[in-house]
Amino acid sequence: MTTHSLSSRVSAALPYAVLIIVSAALWHFANRIDVAARPGQLGPDFWPKLAIGLMAIVSMVELVRAVISPNHSEAHGITDQLEAAEPLPDAEELNDRSIPLLLGGMGLCVAYALLLGVIGFPLSTFCFLVAFIYLGRFRRHGTIWAAALIGTVVLSFLFLKVVYVSLPRGIAPFDAVTDFIVGLY
Amino acid sequence: MLDILTQLGAGFIACFTPIHMLMLLVGLVVGLLVGILPGLTLVMGVVLFLPFTYQMEVTAAIILLTAMYVSGTYGGAFTSILFRIPGEPIHVPLLWDGYAMAKRGQPAKALGWTLVAALIGGLISACIMVVLTKPVADFALQFSSPEYFAIVLFGLASVIALGKGSIPSALISLAIGLLIACVGTDAIYGSYRFTFDLPILADGIEFLVVMVGAFGVAEVLARLEIGFSSAPLQGVGGTRTQLPSFKEIMALKGMMLRSTLIGHVVGVVPGAGATIASFVGYGVESQFGRQRARMGTGVPEGIVAPQSAATASVGGALIPLLALGIPGSGATAVILGAFMLHGIQPGPQVMMTSPAMVYTIFASLFIGVVAMCVLGYFAIRPLVRIMDFPEAVVSAFVMIFCFIGALSIRSNVTDLWLMLGFGVVGYLFERMRFPIAPMVLGVILGPIAEEAFMNSMISFQNDWVVFFTRPISGTILALVILTLVLPVVGPLLPRRRHVPAE
Repeated sequence: MTTHSLSSRVSAALPYAVLIIVSAALWHFANRIDVAARPGQLGPDFWPKLAIGLMAIVSMVELVRAVISPNHSEAHGITDQLEAAEPLPDAEELNDRSIPLLLGGMGLCVAYALLLGVIGFPLSTFCFLVAFIYLGRFRRHGTIWAAALIGTVVLSFLFLKVVYVSLPRGIAPFDAVTDFIVGLY
Repeated sequence: MLDILTQLGAGFIACFTPIHMLMLLVGLVVGLLVGILPGLTLVMGVVLFLPFTYQMEVTAAIILLTAMYVSGTYGGAFTSILFRIPGEPIHVPLLWDGYAMAKRGQPAKALGWTLVAALIGGLISACIMVVLTKPVADFALQFSSPEYFAIVLFGLASVIALGKGSIPSALISLAIGLLIACVGTDAIYGSYRFTFDLPILADGIEFLVVMVGAFGVAEVLARLEIGFSSAPLQGVGGTRTQLPSFKEIMALKGMMLRSTLIGHVVGVVPGAGATIASFVGYGVESQFGRQRARMGTGVPEGIVAPQSAATASVGGALIPLLALGIPGSGATAVILGAFMLHGIQPGPQVMMTSPAMVYTIFASLFIGVVAMCVLGYFAIRPLVRIMDFPEAVVSAFVMIFCFIGALSIRSNVTDLWLMLGFGVVGYLFERMRFPIAPMVLGVILGPIAEEAFMNSMISFQNDWVVFFTRPISGTILALVILTLVLPVVGPLLPRRRHVPAE
């Protein structure tokens, strides 16, 4: 077995190995569900265990198949079979991935969730929009700042004043910005 | 029949109220834009507009989302034909004949055929929908819990068999969805399941959190990773639509009707949405049509067949949604979610309890199809111009809509964290080529399936054979088996491979 084929087998099998471990952990938690069923009746743990069992069995079969033959052919859904006739342009771009961009995007999402309660919806939205557009490698500065500013004011006004969605106002002194936008008109 | 027509008439009158017309117009425009923009999918667009519907009356909300759904099957045709960029997989078949006709110097004519196909396909399908929904709902009133379980199982099996990805990965995705749906308080025994002593999990995980994360955030992250496109379009200035003559349309009336019926039937099958309808419509025409030898060279049949089938699938998909409460596709799952947010469970009962709402939605589909084509005819140039919008800016706003969607469900930041978590899960699914739709439908249909199954087992003393011995549930379960066998056997059957013209 060459190094290449070994690594391809490991990478093909890895997701299923993880899923089997997750299934085992979930089965453990399913066993701790308070079962209040009458004797002879199916309890509240039956349905989750059914889903866990399905996941575990399919994962085991796929793990074995991945180890034996990493490039095995699989039955695909009809949509896949139909679309195979004309690959979409995206398929060509898949080899050109940027992990820093992805991690940057995830980081911005996490920062948004962390800051939301502190600086409020309008400010965190404005910061997110500016940062995300720059991260997306768009460089027309005027457009970016204008789009972020107008977008923030319109969305804040629309959801806080018109649609009445309860969005975080932020703590003092940042809540003043929210109050200012809501106070418009 | 007279009763149906009377109610439909009342539906038209109700539909012409200012708020309903406004929602219809907004839905159509947004649906067209979503169909045109490559970074946005139809389902994502419908999901992102859910927060706007919270404070709306339910009929207006459903009109908005249904209008987006129907016009989303049409908008992507413009860019497929003009620039060889399908906004959605639905419009991939239009690359073969639509783009070929445009390359031959007849883009306006190709767009005209698309418009006629969407109009006729949509209207005929809407007529069939109106006629069939009531009888299907009446029939479904005879159903007991085993039949409901079998129907839901059929819906889930169809999503696996007809959707994207390999069958094993679709099964795993479904199992994960069923498990997510288990989180919270069990409906029958009141036991806590997978709550880990977190109060917010005792109420369960809102399926909207899963949908917004898996469809919205995951898609944006995946596109960010490969880099947003920002190349401006060329040659938009002269874009216009040239309608075919009445004589030309009449020459294709048979195939138009055939493709419409195919699209409608495909739409009715849970799991088979507009994409499959479009491909099957094109496939049937290229196998059996009068012009089969010329398909792929820019003939009208190659444009009309997929477009009429795609638009007709919407009317078909609304039948199981309204009559049985079973969403057949991602978009109808969101519409089901909108119903449930307003405290309405679609199904046979809704035809009896809220006929005014149902027939107003029906009427909106008729008006929507016509208005969509009018918009497509007159506003094609500004609509196509939207592709000049930088994808980074559009995506940033999509993310904000996702955040608002999560926050507006329970006004709780925990939902935002959960949504981001499902965004990462959705991204990993995309990377590992696991389909997302089975997971989302598992989350939505899981509780319905579990309740029907558990009630059946309680009512029939744990006799699981009852699912097979009752005529209706037995027949449906046979269909479930057939559906799951189809994708395994399908590739083994001999077929003619279509070679697109260059």
